[in-house]
Order: sequence, then structure tokens, then C-alpha cells
Amino acid sequence: MSLSFRRHSIKLVTTVLVALSVLAAGCQTAKPEADGSAAGAAASKEQQVPELKIAVPSDVGPLNLYLSSGNENMLELVYDKLFSPSPFVKEPQPWLAESAQQIDDLNWVVKLRSGIKWHDGQPFTAEDVKFTFEYYRDGPSNRYTHHVSEVPRIEKIVAEDANTVRFTCAYACPTLQNITMADLPILPKHIWEKVENPRKYTELPVGTGPYRLVEYKPDQYYKFAANADYFKGKPVVDSLVMPVIKDPTSMFNALRSGEIDVASRGVPPELVDSFKKLPNMKVANTTELSLVEIRVNYEKEPLNQPELRQALSLAVDRKAITDTVILGQGRPGLQGYPHPDSPWTNPNLSTPFDAEKAKSLLEQLKYIDRNGDGVRESEDGKPLEFSLKVTATEPTWIRSAELLKQQFANVGIKTNVEVLDAATIGTLGQTRKYDMYLSNITPHGVADPDQFVMSHRSGYLWTKGLAYPEMDALTAKWMAEPNIEKRKQISFQMQELFNRQPTSIVLYYPKENYAYRADKYDGWVESPGYGIVHKYSLLPAEVKKAATGTK
Amino acid sequence: MGNNPSSGRGISRFLSGRFGRKLIQYALVLFIALTINFALPRLAPGDPLMYFMGQEVNTLTPEQRDRMNRELGLEGSVWEQYGDFMKGAVSLQLGSSTKYGKPVTEVLRERIPWTLLLVVPAFVISPLLGIIGGAYAAWNRGKRRDVLLLAGVLALESTPGFWVGMLLIAVFAVRLGWLPSYGAVPLVHSDDFSYYIEMVRHLILPVSTITIVTVGTSFLLTRSSMLDTLGQDYIYMAEAKGVSRRRLIYRHALRNALLPVYTHVTMSLGVLLSGAVVVETVFSYPGLGRLLYESVVARDYPMMQGVFLMITIGVIAANLLADLTYPLVDPRARSRKQVKEAV
Repeated sequence: MSLSFRRHSIKLVTTVLVALSVLAAGCQTAKPEADGSAAGAAASKEQQVPELKIAVPSDVGPLNLYLSSGNENMLELVYDKLFSPSPFVKEPQPWLAESAQQIDDLNWVVKLRSGIKWHDGQPFTAEDVKFTFEYYRDGPSNRYTHHVSEVPRIEKIVAEDANTVRFTCAYACPTLQNITMADLPILPKHIWEKVENPRKYTELPVGTGPYRLVEYKPDQYYKFAANADYFKGKPVVDSLVMPVIKDPTSMFNALRSGEIDVASRGVPPELVDSFKKLPNMKVANTTELSLVEIRVNYEKEPLNQPELRQALSLAVDRKAITDTVILGQGRPGLQGYPHPDSPWTNPNLSTPFDAEKAKSLLEQLKYIDRNGDGVRESEDGKPLEFSLKVTATEPTWIRSAELLKQQFANVGIKTNVEVLDAATIGTLGQTRKYDMYLSNITPHGVADPDQFVMSHRSGYLWTKGLAYPEMDALTAKWMAEPNIEKRKQISFQMQELFNRQPTSIVLYYPKENYAYRADKYDGWVESPGYGIVHKYSLLPAEVKKAATGTK
Repeated sequence: MGNNPSSGRGISRFLSGRFGRKLIQYALVLFIALTINFALPRLAPGDPLMYFMGQEVNTLTPEQRDRMNRELGLEGSVWEQYGDFMKGAVSLQLGSSTKYGKPVTEVLRERIPWTLLLVVPAFVISPLLGIIGGAYAAWNRGKRRDVLLLAGVLALESTPGFWVGMLLIAVFAVRLGWLPSYGAVPLVHSDDFSYYIEMVRHLILPVSTITIVTVGTSFLLTRSSMLDTLGQDYIYMAEAKGVSRRRLIYRHALRNALLPVYTHVTMSLGVLLSGAVVVETVFSYPGLGRLLYESVVARDYPMMQGVFLMITIGVIAANLLADLTYPLVDPRARSRKQVKEAV
């Protein structure tokens, strides 16, 4: 307790100091220069831009899928998928594929675009697709593995000719085109079949994508060059330089000083207004398809009681948290899990704030304050007391946790906030030694319906083998359903069930603000779940429009 | 190779000698330090798999986990890993980094020059400024300039490095636009000459930051040591016989007053290799300090061990250096034999 308090005060001092230094830098805003509105005009027309400097917050290795994960924006500059842009849109467009056809419940035939070449000049063929899917399924595990081996399970992949691939699933797979094929990047067989240990492979990647990675200095920078022969048209920016700037304040200072043209990290809520006022600067507001949640240890007494988890969810005043902590830069999590903006989420989900109902649920569970200390006890006298762990590097989460502590106290639950480093919380999560911790989930987790099922088997939202008859029955129905619309309806029922006794209590859906120099490049568009810095922003206007569905 | 009976006795005589005893002492310290270096990272929760898989780490079966550990070179019991590590530390075969996918020695070789480039200038400038300022303040003891200087230095001394760095960035990079705020090299440059100019420009802010934050110690040490010395009889004597003030301060007093400062500076040389974690992070500088930070976040055990090994060797070598060279600057610490030789 005292330790966490000390860390708090350090954090507080840090925050104050950071704020002061940002203020010092911000004084510059007063400088009168050309007004921002005219600034973008230069670059907005289909003009070739020689170079952009894009700061990235962390080093993600030589874009090897086996050396790090969660860097799809950069990975997909180099690699392409069969369908694009992602599983998070209603209708992904054919990309490396020309068309995909569902033959029957279990079989799909995919026609590939012909004439595509890998960066090293080798032709792209059906063999590459077959190799990639099999490598993900049978090779070393990565983030894509269970999307071929489990949900869905692809039994057989046959290259029927150079441009035709046939997929056979083990059980119905109506979302193969919209989800799986829009998720998995395709690797070149001629390179990867020779890689002995992919976890030690550090060569620069060879893909089919719009950019080639031409230089990479670990923890320093990436340099990309446009692939002039890209099959969707030559990218409009010739060269991308991406310095790695770990420290957020340093990154935004570099953007202010003009040393970079766009920051691929969202501007903190408190800085948004000052950035909007800068000359030549624009701020794009996006929905992140991610959410901030309380993870609840559903395997541990007494949190294994569904009604108790429901009471916790009802006790959270999400609106108060959104208003106080993130200054309106996000929506309160009143529609629960998964993300309401995903086309695969039930639009009628509801997770309201209702302290009275929470109290009556607790009463029904025989949690009553028997000794008058304001904390409820169970029948055998154990106080209702939990620890809530928070990552030290997330100031907004720490503030949210402090509010949660009060909100839980209002219904008679005691919470102890502990601030720890991310890896420590990760380990406690894996070994199930926690009550609750704050976390966030990426689009892949909260906008992909296959992943929702997968997460119930993986120990994230539920653990395979742990009794949950209602959900198991729905999952069995889901797996047997070959019709995509009907399957979606079953998903909706699963989501309703989930939010009635949540193992993830959603706090808010963050918005993100990306600041960029509009005089350097003004063609940024949002792709759901990817922000604005992704390959589609850098492609010719027609392609951009088709891929992202924007103006 | 031959059986020379005197060589064995030579070694034992060497080991029982002053230098030899020191060597054994230091070897023991090194061994203990290395063991701690091995144990500490592994005692912290978290593992490299988390870093690779993120949330998806939960989807791994125990077999997949074992396989991944094998692929990362983390197989074997802790004792086997310890044995490998000790062998590696002696032969400088440090294994392969899990994060960078490359041999640890190769990553270290890339980073060490950057760290030296950043830290060496700071370690030259900072004591120099500290000593000159300290001597000046001591001579003007109690006067207004002494008080002002002392207050200023104390304030700097207690300022956190990242804050100084951010202020310098805010003023010199953002407001004035004179200097770059991140990185070690220009990302785009016209020719070799401008490349090196840019490299120096990239150094100015981080070097200044380290200097500002570290100057206090040598200033305070010099000042207090000077005050002691200035009270000595021989100084009055020198003053009485008409030695000029500058000569008095810098030749007569400072030379003697510098002994503790010398020890401090020599010993802090050891920290050179550990880089400057905070400053390197604020300025996105690709040195050892940042490497250490990144490795800790990724739980990259082999890499952490490599960096710790560098730091350990650096600190121990600096201590040894201070130990061995101290008699050269302070005759009182010489052994009887050395004194005799000197006479």
C-alpha cells in the first residue's frame, strides 16, 4: 500500500514536470504564420510526395512476424492479404485475391490476381498462399496460428493451378473470406521455406506490398521505398522515413519542431487543443476499435460467481470515468464487449450503471456489511475486498482505478489499487494470481467475431474445459452454422450472455487524435482499427477510396 | 608447455604479491556480480514469450510454449543456463538476443560506440567545469558569488535528468529550432561532411543534459576539499612569500585538493558503459542505456546479461584503475618499496 502510494507521488511529480515542459514548448503557438486552412492545399491533389517522416513509438524488429506482434500497420506496408483492409469492415475488398467463392459448407475456392510479383522479382502464385496458411498452421506459433488451426480450422489447402487455391475446413467456415482472408498476410514461399529458425531470422522482409523496407537500424529508424510496380498503383509517397521515438513528449516535441511530419501515436487528450492551433497542423479524430477494461479473474473465489461479476459491472459509473479521466476523448463503455463499432457486434448490447441493482444483487448473494465498517462480508465473515492492478506507464488507467475504488466502495466493495510494471501484470494474469487488473484490447480482440470465440477457449475471456454450459451450447451451434448471417445472430446471443456476467468489464472506448503536418501530406484517411498511418493512406486516391470506403 | 619448476613458484609469488592479491579480490567480486546479474532478471516476473505474443500468449499450449522457448534458445534448466552463462561470460560467447534475433555481442558492438560518443564528452566537460567552479567558489567562500554558485549547482544537482532534457528540447529544438531533438544521426543528409556535422549537432543537447545533471558532484567535492586545503599552513606560507593568487589557487591548493575528486572521477568512469538510460530515452539515442531498458521491457535475458556484464566489467575495471593509480597521484599511499624506488 505504501509502496503504491510512493509510486503515485513519483508519477504525480513526473506528470507535473512533463506538463510544464510541454507548456514551455507550447509558447510558440503565438507565432503568427500562414493560416492553417490554406496549408493543406499544396499536397492534397494527386501529387507525388518525395518523402515523409513518420515517428513510431517502438521498435518492432525487422518486420518479422515471428519476432514481434501487434505491428500490423508497418507489417502491411510490405505484405498484402488476400482481402483488404481488415476483418473490421463490413465488406473487405479483393486484394491479392480476385474473388472467393464458397462452394459448400466446408469448401472455398479462391482465384488469385495474376501478374503480381514479389519485391525480388519472383512471381506470386497459389503455392505461396498454400505455403503461408500451412506454415501458420503447422509451423512455429504466431498470432495467426489459431486462425488456421482452431477458429476456423482449415484441414486442407490445395493449389489447383497457379492462380487457384481450394480451402477445406474441418467445420463450417462461412467467414473465411471476410475474416480469415482479410487477416493473414501472405509470405513468399521461396524465402520462408528456407528459413531455419524464424525466431532468429533478421533479414529484411520480401513482400508484395506497396513499400520495400530498405534500411532498418534497431531502436533508431526504418526506411521504406515505394514499390513502383505495385499492382494497385504506385504509392503517392516515394520514401518513408520512420524514426523510433519512444518517449511520447519527445515525439510530440519533434512534431512541433517540424522534425517529423506525422506521429503514429495518438495525441494525449490534454494536448489536442494546442496542436489544433499550430500552423500547418491538422488533427484527425478516429475511433480506435480498442477498449479499456477491467479483467476479472473468473476462476478465483468469489469472482467465479456470475452474479458477483454482474454486480461489479453495474457498480461502475462509466460516464464519470470518461468525463473525468479522458476528458471526453472516448465514449463510456455502456455497450459492453466487444466494440460497438465492429460490424460483427450486437447493436443492442447494454451495460448500464445501476448502483441500486448492484447492491440488491450483492444482498441476494448474502454479502452484507455485518460489522458496520462499510465493507460487505460473506456469510462466513470474509470481507468483499479485491486488489486492482494497474500498469505504471498508463497514467489515465491509474486515474481510472482511483475512481473505480470510490465507485466500488459506494456499493460496499473494498478495492486496493496496486501499480506495477506491465510484464509483472502479464505474468500474474497468466498464472491467474490476481483479482482484477486494467488492460486494453486491440481491434483483433474486440472487432473480430472469430477471435471472440477463440478468446473463450484461450483463457482470455474464458478457459477451455471450465464449465460454462450456456456458452458451450451457443459455441457448438455457432460452429455448425454455415450461413454467415445466421452465424452472426448466434454471435449476438453469445455477446449478450457474455455481458450479463462479464469477465471483461468495459470502461470506455477510446478515441484517438492523430496530428500531422498537412502542408507535407494531407491524404491521410482512417482505416477502422488502424488509425491513419497505414498503407491505404499512401495509395492513389481511387484505390484508397475502394479500400477504406472513405471520400 | 615445458616443465619449468620456477614458473609455478613465480605464479604463486605473483598471486601473493600486492597486485596478485588485488586480482584475486576482483575476480571474486566479478564472480559474485555475474551471479547476481544472472539471477535478478529471472527473479522478476514476466517472460519473453509475453513480449512476442502479447495477449495471444494465452493461446499457447504447453508444447507450443516449450517449442518457442527452444527456438529462442531458452531451453534447459536454470542451472544449465547458469553454467552456459558463466562459460559465455569468460569466452564472451553471450548467446543470442531474443528480441533482436542476433548474437548479443553483435548488438553490443553496435551500441557501445554510440554510448561512448555520448558519455565521454560529458565525462570530460562535467568534472572540468565542476573543478574550476568549485575552486573558484571555495576561494570566494561566503561571498555573494559563492552563495549564488552553490545554490545554482545544488538546484541543478537535484533536477531529474529527463526534465532538464525536455526543457532543453522545448527551448532549443522546438522554440528556437536550432538543434535536433531526437536520434543520433540525420535520417536524410546530402554528403558525408554534413553527416558528421549533423552527428555533432545531435550530440549537443544530450551531452549538455548529462553535464548539467552531473556537474554538481565534482563541484561540491572540489569546493569542500579546497576549503580544507586553503586552511592549511603551507598556503599561508605561500601567500606570505608572495605567490600570485592564480598560482596559489591552481598550483598550490587545487593540486592537493583534487585527490578526492580524482578518486570520484576515476571510479565513475565505470558508469560510462552503462550509458545514460534516461537521457538516451528522452533523446531517442541508440546507446547501451536504452538497450538495457528495451531488453528489460522485452525480458530479453541474454541481452540483459550482456549489458549487465559490460557494466560490471566497467565498474570493476574503474575501481581497479583507481586503486592502482592512486599511489601515483598521492605519495602517501605508496608502498615502502615504491617510495624507496622513487627516492
